Amino acid sequence: MKNQLLARLLFQGFLASSILWGFGCEKRGLEDLEKISFPSKGEVFLDDFTPDLAYAAFGGSNVRAFQVDKLVTYNETQQSMRFDVPDANSPTGSYAGGVFMSKTGRDLSSFNALTFYIKASQPATIASLGFGNDLGINRSVVTLNGQPVNTNWQKVIIPIPDPSKVKGERGLFYYATGPENGRGYTFWIDEVKFEKLGTLGIPRSVILGGRDSTISGVEVGDNITVTGLQTIVSLPTGINQTVDVSPSFYKFTTTDSSIASVNAQGIVSILAPGTATISAEVNNQPVENVLRITSVGSAPGPVIKAPVPTRDAANVISLYSNAYPNVPVDTWNTRWQFSTTDNSFIKVQGDDVIRYKNLNFVGIEFTTQTINATTMDGFHLDIWTPDNTTAPNNFKVLLVDFGPNNVFGGGDDKSHEVTITPPTLKSNEWVSLDLPLSTFTGLTTRGNLAQLVFSGTIPNVFVDNVYFYKQSSVPTNPAPTPTFSAATVISVFSDAYTNIAGTNLNPSWGQATLVTQTPIAGNNTLVYSGLNYQGIELGSNQNLNGLNFLHLDYYSLNSTSLRVFLISPGPVEKSSTLVVPTSAGWNSVDIPLSTFAPVNLNSVFQIKFEGNGTIYLDNILFRL
Amino acid sequence: MKIHNHFTIRTFLVAAALCASGLFVLTACEKEAIQELPQRNWELTWSDEFDGNAGNLPDSTRWTYDIGTGDNGWGNSELQFYTKRPSNVQLNGEGNLEITARRENFSGMAFTSARLKTKGIFAQKYGRFEARIKTPTGPGIWPAFWMLGANIDSVPWPQCGEIDIMEQRGQESHINHGSVHGPGYSGGNSKTKSYALTNGRFDNQFHLYAVEWGEGYIDYFVDNFLYQRITPADLTGEWVFNQPFFLIMNIAIGGNFVGFPTNNTPFPQTMTVDFVRVYKQQ
Repeated sequence: MKNQLLARLLFQGFLASSILWGFGCEKRGLEDLEKISFPSKGEVFLDDFTPDLAYAAFGGSNVRAFQVDKLVTYNETQQSMRFDVPDANSPTGSYAGGVFMSKTGRDLSSFNALTFYIKASQPATIASLGFGNDLGINRSVVTLNGQPVNTNWQKVIIPIPDPSKVKGERGLFYYATGPENGRGYTFWIDEVKFEKLGTLGIPRSVILGGRDSTISGVEVGDNITVTGLQTIVSLPTGINQTVDVSPSFYKFTTTDSSIASVNAQGIVSILAPGTATISAEVNNQPVENVLRITSVGSAPGPVIKAPVPTRDAANVISLYSNAYPNVPVDTWNTRWQFSTTDNSFIKVQGDDVIRYKNLNFVGIEFTTQTINATTMDGFHLDIWTPDNTTAPNNFKVLLVDFGPNNVFGGGDDKSHEVTITPPTLKSNEWVSLDLPLSTFTGLTTRGNLAQLVFSGTIPNVFVDNVYFYKQSSVPTNPAPTPTFSAATVISVFSDAYTNIAGTNLNPSWGQATLVTQTPIAGNNTLVYSGLNYQGIELGSNQNLNGLNFLHLDYYSLNSTSLRVFLISPGPVEKSSTLVVPTSAGWNSVDIPLSTFAPVNLNSVFQIKFEGNGTIYLDNILFRL
Repeated sequence: MKIHNHFTIRTFLVAAALCASGLFVLTACEKEAIQELPQRNWELTWSDEFDGNAGNLPDSTRWTYDIGTGDNGWGNSELQFYTKRPSNVQLNGEGNLEITARRENFSGMAFTSARLKTKGIFAQKYGRFEARIKTPTGPGIWPAFWMLGANIDSVPWPQCGEIDIMEQRGQESHINHGSVHGPGYSGGNSKTKSYALTNGRFDNQFHLYAVEWGEGYIDYFVDNFLYQRITPADLTGEWVFNQPFFLIMNIAIGGNFVGFPTNNTPFPQTMTVDFVRVYKQQ
């Protein structure tokens, strides 16, 4: 299983923890139940609860934050509402918040604002004041955020964006706020009522906070929520009041529902490539600003999953793979400043894959639990990109070690970046990268690896099987079995073909090399230990005319030098250099026979290896 | 051309309106009340309906401009730089003139706006002077439709006289002010009266602001409701309103009358003028 990397906290609104107050329990006859319209009364709390009003505190708040107060009232009225905001970390609740609900519901369509007076024991900012929160579906919520208050009574006006939408409203008033600088305080609210104010400007509603917005590059299946729904009204003082409002007050429209549809909640669904413009209206007035969307169509991506890793789990520290248990990674996208990268977690043939899009660079962090890769030899990842990978395009992998102090900075951090270029980098196919840690030359410590950074010029990268690995000195898997037609092969050493009869795999040429053969998963493999040089005497002179390549599979973790020679009588010999060590397991090479000129290819009778270390060899053969 | 004064068939309330001093507040009931006004027949002498293409300046044969900051903010410590750029003054293509005040640094000032006048082009003694205007709002915003004596270059203010047909403070958009300034009654001591809406505001829609000016009187109207008559007897100084006056329209920002704008004053603010019409009495 992969790590659950994104802990999404969905803010699902407040939950009531308790119902504290309930007033006005009137006996009702059946005739009342038959009514289909709601009372149109505007009063909420003047000197006391209106008969249909009930209070419920929000979950996690101090449930005793609210009480009716006779001492501090507006304009010498009898009672006010008093709210005691708790200190931070108060055991009884960390904030004050709750809902005043009508048990019957109200028809508020004849009003245009909720108004009340407010003062506090000290200057403070009330986080949220509003109406429409009914602890249920919260259909028509209007919220004034960040209202400053002081020790003087002031009137607060919260406009109704469209009164025709609040004909059966239960949420008459709600509030939520926390302490100021960690300390609680008290505020009072009085004369809470819905009013029809002629002194307000004409409400104007916006989307996206009042700015046009363009979203490009979205894909079929993406959902985009139209945010920044606000209603702005000029208060009697000529100052604008801006409140956040629910989508229910809006009617959204799209210029092309076949490309991007939009529902009543303002959620845009991308259906096809093309462009569409999302508009809205509130109370039959068009909203001035719009959301423009350009869809690129279906998402690109691999159709087949990445090659399943075959390394022994004991030799792997995996960050992201279905093949291994994974260590904790704090995030696969730190969203550092200036990073444009988005990421998502997708499945390809049931295999979990990280998708990066708009990649310029992306930070990946595992600082909580850093990785000790001192015993590891290499870093593996599989990448797939639909983008152009011809030169000078590249993909870069940066590893950062926090050093002995195990924290960022402190002067002991080490890092190194490796750049992957074509032809290694390929488009539209999985590229398995095995990056020897020895090539990360600047990464001189790796006991506290904490960051991984991808960057480069390809904006779309799919990533899988990210892990550090330790090379086994003995190959864990046999060399790949060759598939050349037997008719076109002259084999020296292979289980797949009939080998040249009479070949001496260990002629006595005075060498120090120890020659053995060992089966790997049943596949016989030739092993040179302590190589200085080693010959092979073919059972007969071979005429290689008509063949093109010397093929061989070799494996060595510790060799730093390795050459292979062909020899014809004379002797005439010529070598070809083999790349060691073999960081990716078995290396399969096909060396053109022309490389070995001036060796007489009509009559090759010996093969020789020179170099050092322990070498595993298999499938030594000449082929077409 | 005869314009029938269709609002004359009303009864009563003139006396009360003319007696009240200070803020005169009309309740909803009073607005339904009926005024009896003298029958006057008007003949159009000058007008601008502001027809034309959006983005154009209004007719240059009717209007000229005050540009810059004047002397001490046009005598009032006003904060705007007046321009005749389309961003400050233009036709809107729907038959209206738009004067727009903006918060922008321009030639050392923090705000820009526009001030149009008919000085040197048109002036008239006596008659009905009216404009249908949707006013701007916001603290420190000071829209005005007013007149100055055409002899101002030779007879300095306040001796030349000033008739303010409409002035509003944007922090009190429910109040309209009508005033005269002259020798001994200028600036803060002008003769003024306010007309307020109890549960409404002027900037939400167009209103018709007018004076009817004759020998020895100036009557002030909002939406054809007479709320003030000023006569020589009301003044503490000389009556100087017996010579031609020219028209001015502007939005000032800040200044002695309205006070400073605040950080919360919404900008831009636009004064939309449907028409300006001047009549003489037949």
